[in-house]
Amino acid sequence: MLEIKPIINALLRSKVGALLLLIQIAITTAIVSNAAFIINDRINYLNQPTGYEEENIFKFNVMTFGTDVDLIQQIELDEDRIRQLPGVVDAVQISAIPLSGGGSSTSFRLKPVPEKSKSVNASYFETDEHGLNTLGVNLIAGRNFTQEEVVINRDFTKYPNVALATKALMDELYPDGDGLGKTIYTGDKPLTIVGIIGMMKGPWLKLEERKDKSVIIPMLDPSKLHQFLVRTESGRRAEVMTQIEDLMHESYAKRVIQDLTGLDKKKADYVAEDLLMMRMLVILISVLVLVTALGIFGLTLFNINKRTKQIGTRRALGARKSAIIKYFVVENSLICIAGLVLGVCGAVFLGQQLMAHYSVPALSYWYVAVTAVAVFAMSLLAVIGPAKRAANIAPSIATRTI
Amino acid sequence: MFSHYIDLSWRSFKRTPLVSVLMVMAIAIGIGVTMTSLSVYHMMSMDPIPNKSSQLFAVQLQSMDEGETWFSPDSIPYQLTYKDTDHLLNADLPYKRAALMKTGFSVHLNSDKIKPFLETARVTSRDAFEMFNLTFLHGGVWSLEQEQNAAPVVVISETMSKKLFGTDNGVGQTLYLDDLSMRVVGVIQDWQLHVKYYDPNNGAFNDPEQIFIPFSLIKAHELNTWGNTNGWKHEPVKVFNDKLESEKVWLQFWVQLNNDSEKQAYSDYITNYILDQKKLGRFTREQPEFKLRDVNEWIIYRQVVNEDNKIMVALSFMFLAVCLANILGLLLAKFLRRAPEVGVRRALGASKRQVFYQHIVEVGMLGLFGGVLGILVAQLGLLGIRQSYSYYESLANMDISMLMTAPIIAISACILAGIYPAWLVCRTTPSTYLKTQ
Repeated sequence: MLEIKPIINALLRSKVGALLLLIQIAITTAIVSNAAFIINDRINYLNQPTGYEEENIFKFNVMTFGTDVDLIQQIELDEDRIRQLPGVVDAVQISAIPLSGGGSSTSFRLKPVPEKSKSVNASYFETDEHGLNTLGVNLIAGRNFTQEEVVINRDFTKYPNVALATKALMDELYPDGDGLGKTIYTGDKPLTIVGIIGMMKGPWLKLEERKDKSVIIPMLDPSKLHQFLVRTESGRRAEVMTQIEDLMHESYAKRVIQDLTGLDKKKADYVAEDLLMMRMLVILISVLVLVTALGIFGLTLFNINKRTKQIGTRRALGARKSAIIKYFVVENSLICIAGLVLGVCGAVFLGQQLMAHYSVPALSYWYVAVTAVAVFAMSLLAVIGPAKRAANIAPSIATRTI
Repeated sequence: MFSHYIDLSWRSFKRTPLVSVLMVMAIAIGIGVTMTSLSVYHMMSMDPIPNKSSQLFAVQLQSMDEGETWFSPDSIPYQLTYKDTDHLLNADLPYKRAALMKTGFSVHLNSDKIKPFLETARVTSRDAFEMFNLTFLHGGVWSLEQEQNAAPVVVISETMSKKLFGTDNGVGQTLYLDDLSMRVVGVIQDWQLHVKYYDPNNGAFNDPEQIFIPFSLIKAHELNTWGNTNGWKHEPVKVFNDKLESEKVWLQFWVQLNNDSEKQAYSDYITNYILDQKKLGRFTREQPEFKLRDVNEWIIYRQVVNEDNKIMVALSFMFLAVCLANILGLLLAKFLRRAPEVGVRRALGASKRQVFYQHIVEVGMLGLFGGVLGILVAQLGLLGIRQSYSYYESLANMDISMLMTAPIIAISACILAGIYPAWLVCRTTPSTYLKTQ
């Protein structure tokens, strides 16, 4: 029916061209399936929900070098002045900026040190009662802490005794879901969890086990360098940002305002590396598929040139054009299938190697299957043109030369 | 003969322009992609201080209790405690050493001349400048006495000097770091570095600092680190001195050991130090554990070259293989079509070797064209990387060695691909083709 046997015989007589095609298809399948898988992994990472209105939030650093000012009073004053700006929803001094790649983390435990107990590593934010509203994250249970509960840390004698925690952290510490109102410990200091936050990403997105686990502690820690976070009404961020530096210097001049940046930009800087990798892989597989398609195209043309006489003879003996086309399509498909078999094994092997040496998750076999089908379709497309050209060879050609 | 073959190659190139251009394009794209990722890799993994990299050692001490683990590959902390750093810095030993910490200040001149700005600074000790090959343009390093007495002195870079004082010789001038008034004692040539090997904790590809101050200022002015502080046990830190006395790690330490016997002597010294500390209740492990890693070992251990880049390099070489398989196919087609011509040449007395050589010259030429074009493609790729990721600004470039490598890889890859077709064509038997002419 498909004349597979004579095709295989013919292939065995001119092995090299077919072998080259087979190698190309195999390597292409291996690379494309793994690259597509990594690309998808990065897309999910880049587009994960964070819990913030990133385009309405910005941050800035304040470094005070003057010594004739009380930092705590100044922070309170700054917060008030920023909150009064038209377009500002809320503003707060905070110890770490989410999605920025920089922050603090510590272990939160069920029992105080030195007792042994379950402990979970989580990032923490120190801020006042406006923190929750400025971040714009949602409480799913309990309440926010109050102004009275905020500890102003002048001499480290006091430590807060309440805190907010994310659901991801509480689920880990209290798997039964009864964590609200319970006490967790950082070192030997007790913190009663008065509120539970839903979706909220911490400063780091890379550390899978830590990114969703955060604690907000009601504390002001006045140091020379501190950070402010501001949330504005939709679309008014840019105009608010332009006023910040003057506003801050008006109230006290001996300080430097720095890193006035939107939260979306902070996140973009943090994930730039992964975005770059994704783009490079997309370019790589696009060019690769193109090169392989051209290779199939070129080799088929070359085969036809070599077999002009043979095709002419077949046509003279009564073969239809469709039979000639079929011949080349079947031949190409046979090579392609052999290449795909090798390529699928290669893809799985490459996936295992990447997983063994790098932090790449296990390759999903769907990607291999879809790539194989796509490569097969591509090879069919690449062979159709030259095969049609072969079918148009006139029977008389065969009789021209001996 | 070689020039004649070049001439023949060029003629043959012009005879089949489409196929030739396709081949050159395939090589160029393959080389371009490969060189793009290889250049970044090369810049990341390059020896940052070639004439000294085997003599400079990063010191690590296993100060954690038995059973405590760390996120470093061998579970030894990357940094040191203040106590250990201070001790190693002041040890009575003949070796050059440098204690380091990253910090930062508002820099200003206490006047309206310059708008105050935030700048990172490197706290370090005297030997560091010589150890890390920093060249003084004016003045010099602070004295030992100044170092011991926490004198308000500073060394700055040429660029910083120009920025603050409008001249590259800022020696003798005063600048303010926060509220500290500091006198400039030396100006160094800008520190050009692709990889911040001396402190890769907060981004190995950030620029080196441009302000250097004596290590003793940490204690004198309670300077906080702008880098990482890591703790492995619960220690209440209420005042700055608690941090100095704590087991928290937040400082870097390097030592210069010029040969194996010095390294051995220093290792013995550290072993004894750990044993001494054991008596005081620190370093509670059975076996004293520490590491001295030279610059290149340190770069590998700290995984400066990121994973993505390694994956990219591996994939681009596979990509190059596909391009080569492609070229091999095209060369086969091209050469075999020329068999009649070769038959005539063989009949006229050309040896197989000469025919083979001629074809190899031809693929070599294709490789050269492809390599040169590939450099252009790679430059485009690197430009794209610089555009989309400014952090790689200084890494996404080709240095001379990479510019030389590109055509070499291209030509050798092409010759590798050309051997089989050339061999096939030189075996042409003249008689077959002379019959039908």
